[in-house]
Amino acid sequence: MIEIKEVEEPRRVPILGSVEGMFTVFKHLFGKPVTVQYPEKPSVLPDRFRFRIYLSTDDCVGCTLCEQVCPNLTITMVPLEKENQRNKRKIYPSVNFGTCTVCRNCEEICPTDAIYLKEVFETARTRNNFFYSPEDLEKHEAEVKR
Amino acid sequence: MVEQGNLKNRLIELNMGPQHPSTHGVLRLKLTLDGETVKKVEPIIGYLHRNAEKICELDFYCDALIYFDRMDYVAAMNMEAGYLEAAEKLLGIEPPERVVWIRTIMAELSRIASHLVWAGAYGLDLGMLTPFFYVFEQREKILDLFTEISGSRQETNYMSIGGVYQDFNDKIVYLIREFLDQFPKKLEEVFNLFVKNDIFISRTKGIGILEPDVALQYGVTGPMLRASGVPYDVRKAQPYLAYDRVNFEVPISKRKDNYARVLVRFEEMRQSAKIIKQALDKLPDGPYFNPKAKKSLMVRLRGEGDFYARTESPKGEFGVYLVGDGTVKPYRVHVRSPAFKNLSVLPALAKDVLIADLVAISGTLDLVFGEVDR
Amino acid sequence: MNLLLRIATILSFLGHYPSYILGYLIETIIVIIFATVVIAGMVYIFRKYMARVQMRIGPNRVGKFGIMQVMADGLKLIQKESIMPKGRDDLAYKLAPILIFFGLIMGFIFIPYGPLAWFGDLTVSHSDVSLIIIFALIAIMPIGEILSGISSNNKYAVIGTLRGIAKDISFEVPMMLSILAIVMAASAKVSNPLDINGVVVAQSIPFAILEPLGFFVFIISMAARASYSPFDMGESDSELVTGNTTEYSGLRFGFFYLGLFGTIFLGSMMISTIYLGGYLGPFTNYMGFIWLLIKTLILVIISLTIWLSMPRVRIDKFINFGWKYLLPIAFVNLVIVGFLVLGGIA
Repeated sequence: MIEIKEVEEPRRVPILGSVEGMFTVFKHLFGKPVTVQYPEKPSVLPDRFRFRIYLSTDDCVGCTLCEQVCPNLTITMVPLEKENQRNKRKIYPSVNFGTCTVCRNCEEICPTDAIYLKEVFETARTRNNFFYSPEDLEKHEAEVKR
Repeated sequence: MVEQGNLKNRLIELNMGPQHPSTHGVLRLKLTLDGETVKKVEPIIGYLHRNAEKICELDFYCDALIYFDRMDYVAAMNMEAGYLEAAEKLLGIEPPERVVWIRTIMAELSRIASHLVWAGAYGLDLGMLTPFFYVFEQREKILDLFTEISGSRQETNYMSIGGVYQDFNDKIVYLIREFLDQFPKKLEEVFNLFVKNDIFISRTKGIGILEPDVALQYGVTGPMLRASGVPYDVRKAQPYLAYDRVNFEVPISKRKDNYARVLVRFEEMRQSAKIIKQALDKLPDGPYFNPKAKKSLMVRLRGEGDFYARTESPKGEFGVYLVGDGTVKPYRVHVRSPAFKNLSVLPALAKDVLIADLVAISGTLDLVFGEVDR
Repeated sequence: MNLLLRIATILSFLGHYPSYILGYLIETIIVIIFATVVIAGMVYIFRKYMARVQMRIGPNRVGKFGIMQVMADGLKLIQKESIMPKGRDDLAYKLAPILIFFGLIMGFIFIPYGPLAWFGDLTVSHSDVSLIIIFALIAIMPIGEILSGISSNNKYAVIGTLRGIAKDISFEVPMMLSILAIVMAASAKVSNPLDINGVVVAQSIPFAILEPLGFFVFIISMAARASYSPFDMGESDSELVTGNTTEYSGLRFGFFYLGLFGTIFLGSMMISTIYLGGYLGPFTNYMGFIWLLIKTLILVIISLTIWLSMPRVRIDKFINFGWKYLLPIAFVNLVIVGFLVLGGIA
C-alpha cells in the first residue's frame, strides 16, 4: 500500500508574491551573519572530528593490517631501526597525507591501537612534503619539518 | 536551411561546458542552435570518470565505502546505505535493529541535504542569487550534525559493514531534534521565495513536460518520475532499512513540468523531516555493530554469489550489483546510477526549446557528476 | 550663486574668460571624479548589502570594514593581462569599453544636483534641451554593448548581444513615451520643459504621484537599461557565461563592470530627478543635493533587493511584456496626462 500525496500548487497573489519575496530578502539584512572568521576565531570542533594520523611506535607490532585495509595506498610500511620487542620485522607505517581520505579504517583495524587519529587539521604544506615517516607520525604537528 | 534572398539562415553549433557556469560540474552539452532555439542537444559525459567500480573490485568489501561516498558526493549517506544493502546480504551479516534505525535517520538527513543543494543551484540557474545562501545555511547545519556524529563533514565513511562507525548518544539526538525544530520554517521561507515569484512561475510552469511513458522508457526514476505522475518510490515499492515501519507519503504531481519537479522535491524534504522525527522516537537500544563483523575481522569477510540491491537515493533508484567469488574482494561491482539515467532523457526533454529553458530544464534533473561518470 | 561662479571668483585673477573656461573644466573634472567615486561606492554598497542579505560578512579585509576593497580590485584589474581573442574586430573590440564608460560619465554631467550650502548650485551643464541630451548620451552605452558582442568572435557574445538589442528596442520606445508625458506635464508649469532642471522645478507635486503609470514604465525601463537580475538576459551568467563581455578581461572588463553599477546609480538618480522631485525637499537651498542623494540611495537599495530576489525573465517573455504591456501602458499614461494638462490639474 503506497500512501500517495498529490502535491498541491501553493496559492499566490500575482505581483504581491514577488514583493513578499523581496521583503523576505530585505529582512535578512538585520540578521546575524553565519560566517566564521576562521583564522582569527578558531571554530569549535565536535568531539568526534578526526584528521591527523598519529602513531605510537612503542605499541606497533608491524602486522601490516593498516597497510592492507588502506583503500588508496596512503599507508606504506617502511623499515625503521628501533628497540621494540614486539615488532620483530622492524617495519612501521608511513603516511602520505596528500592522498589520505580520513576513512579511519586504519584506526579501527589496528589490534594494538598503535595508530590513532586526532582532531589536528592544520597540516598544510608544500607539495612534496606530505610524506610522514613513522617518527614524524609520533611528533606533534608543529614539530614536523615542513 | 532557409534562404531568403541573399540571407542564409544557418544552424550554429555551440559547446556548453565542460567549463560553464550552469552545467553543475563537468557536463558538456553540444547544442545545435537555430538562433535562440535549441534544435538538438547531445550530452557528452566522462570528464569526471574515476573508474570507481573497478577500484572497488581491487579492494576489500569494507574499503569500497569511501568510493561510494564519492559517487553522489552531496548525499554520501544514501550511497553508503545503498552499497551496504547489497554487501551485507552478500556477506550474510545482519545489522542490529538500532543500526537500521540510525541508518534511516542518516539517509534521510542526507536526502534533505541533497535536495537543499539542488534548490540552491536551481535558483542560481534561473538567476536568483539569494536563496542559494539560505539553503546552504541549513545544509551547513546538517553537515555540522554529520561532523558531530561521524567525524567528517561530507565524505563521511560513517556506516560500516554490519554496523555504524560510532553510536548515537543523547547529545546527538538532541541536536537533530533541535535542527528539525527550526528547519520547516526556514524551508517554507525558501519555498515561498521560489513559488510565489511570478517570474519563477513563468520560467517553470509548462516548460520541460515529461510524459510518464517517455520517462519510463528512458528509465527515469526518483523525483523526476514522481513529478510525471508515476507513484514509484523504492522506499515503498521494496522497503529497505526501516521504511516499512514509518509513516510517510510519496509526493507526486500530475503537472509533469519543471514546476512539478520543484514542488515534489520540496515536499520530499518535508516528508524526510517527518520520517526523521518518527525514527528518533522509535530508536531502540542495543549494540551499534554486529559482532560477526568486528573491526579486526574487517579484512576477512568473504562472500559468494551475487546480489542486486536497490535503494532510493535523492536522485532516484540507486542500484548496486555485487558478485562475490568467495575471496575477500568482490568479483564485480556494478552501479546503476540514477542521475545518469535521468540525464539520458535530456535530449528528448529539451527539444525545440530556448537556451534559457534548456538551462531551466537541465537544472531540474539534479545532476551530480560524481555519480553520472563514476 | 553656483559652483561655477564660486570657482570663477577664486580664479578671477586670470581674467574674465580664462577663469570661466578653467572653472568649467575644473567643475567637469570634479563631476567625473564624483562619478567614479560614486560608482566605486556603489560597488562597495552592493557587495556589502548582498553579503548581509545573504547572511555573509562581505569584504572586511582591506581597510576598515573593507572600504578599500574596491580600490584593491581596481588595481588588480589594471595589472591583469587584457586577453585579446583571435579573430576579433580590433577597433570595435577596443572601442566598446570606452564607449560604455564615456556614455555613463557624460550622463552625470547633465543631472541637476541641486544646491548645497556654501557651494551653491552644483549642476555642471545647463542646457535648454538637457533632458534630450541626457537620453542621447545614455543611448551610447548600448552601442558599446553591441560592438563588444559582435567584435569578440564568440558565439556566446553574439547571442548575448542579439538578446541585448532585442531587449533595448522593446523598452526604449515606452521609456521615451513616458518621458514625453513628463515634458507635457512640465510644460504646463515652466517655460523650459525640455530642460531637466525645469522638470524638477515643475514638481510641486512629484510626477510619481501625478502619473504612476509612467513612473512604473520608467522604473522598469531603467532596470532593463542597467540590466540587473530580472532583466539580465544579455549577460545571463548561467546561460551565456557573461554574454557580450565573455572575452573581456583586465581593465576592459573593469569598464563594463563599472558601467553596470554606474548605470544603476545613474538610473536611480534619474528616477529621483524626473519623478520624485530631485533635489526638492525641506530646506532645498541648503541641502538640495542631500535630498537627491537620499532619494537615490533608497532607490538603489530597492534595485539591489530586486536584483537579489528575482530570477531572470526569459527574453521572449520580456519582449512580449515590452510591446504588449509597457507600450500600451505608456500610451494610456500619455492620454491621461494630456487630459490632466487640459484640465489644468498639473
